[in-house]
Amino acid sequence: MTLTESPSLLVAGIGEMVLSSSADAHLVAYGLGSCIALAAWDPRTKVGGLAHFMLPNGPANNASPVKFIDTGLDTFLRALEARGAVVSRSTLKAAGAAAMLTVGGGLAIGKRNAESMEAALKERGLNLAAAALGGNAGRTVQLEVADGRFLIKSLSSVIQL
Amino acid sequence: MTLTLSEAGQNVVAGTFGRAMRRAGEALGSMCGQVIEVQTPQLQRCSASDVLVMAGGPESIVLAVYVGITGSLQGHALLLFAPPDAHRLAQILLAGLLGPGELPMESTTDPLSYDELELSALQEAGNVTISAFLNELGMHLHEPVQPTPPQVVVEMAGAVLDAVLLDLVSDADQVLAAKTTFNEGGLAIDGTLFVLPRADSLRVLLDALGAIGI
Repeated sequence: MTLTESPSLLVAGIGEMVLSSSADAHLVAYGLGSCIALAAWDPRTKVGGLAHFMLPNGPANNASPVKFIDTGLDTFLRALEARGAVVSRSTLKAAGAAAMLTVGGGLAIGKRNAESMEAALKERGLNLAAAALGGNAGRTVQLEVADGRFLIKSLSSVIQL
Repeated sequence: MTLTLSEAGQNVVAGTFGRAMRRAGEALGSMCGQVIEVQTPQLQRCSASDVLVMAGGPESIVLAVYVGITGSLQGHALLLFAPPDAHRLAQILLAGLLGPGELPMESTTDPLSYDELELSALQEAGNVTISAFLNELGMHLHEPVQPTPPQVVVEMAGAVLDAVLLDLVSDADQVLAAKTTFNEGGLAIDGTLFVLPRADSLRVLLDALGAIGI
């Protein structure tokens, strides 16, 4: 199993989100360390979205709409609904929030991101169906819009959630 | 407090960082017994994703030596190598320390696998290089700049850099990134030194250089 290289690859850069209802679309976030990616997929309308969050909290930001979890999560959920997804029946999966560096405070940011994401979803009555959070390995993630598969690639493995 | 640097202020910082980066290149060169060419350093204000592009893209795999900068000036420094270059550098460094029979075998099957001796040599190379940068900077400052102990990781560049970037962008959209590339032409080793200062701590450097308010 390998991650896909194709023209229908949509990349969520740091602080960005991508959405699609196209069956051949692959939504990707590259090189997550302490950042956290949230994937959402509605099994009925087959609408998918991937958001690449950076930090737990901060002001709404037009340049990076999902920079912060507390203000960006609703932006992401509203964008999914606008695209035709129903968030309450969508499958939510997350990955990232690792501690890449043990010096310089890297440890704390990943952990805080994971806690903030879980708390922010819970506040909205939502839960993660699956997650690969923490640890000390970088991850690239890919959501397959056709079937909702969430692939997580590290230097040593590719797993599917 | 966020310090906004004028163009003249940025030029002063760029000049000082440039000299410090050349010192860093010389330190790396003397460790390897080679002359290292140091490209003209770039100093630019840019977004977090721009920094990832400058590092070769978030998924490019790097061997990174990270050193945190604490004290009067605060920020982060990273020396990055592509894995094959890191292996070549490690072999050169170890050849200078060990006899030929004691050298670890160069890994040909897995470029991402390093033995402890190689990692230790590369970590020290990063430490010496970044310390040379900070020592040069320290000559202009009245208060000490202290490096954290070095840490070496082999990872996707995005994953290594994002924790550093998150520390810098919590209250700003842009970071100040200084970058140079070291080339050892004969041995085809390229390394990239990134220095990412906290913008609000640059005041101490500008003040020491007499550049405040320009």
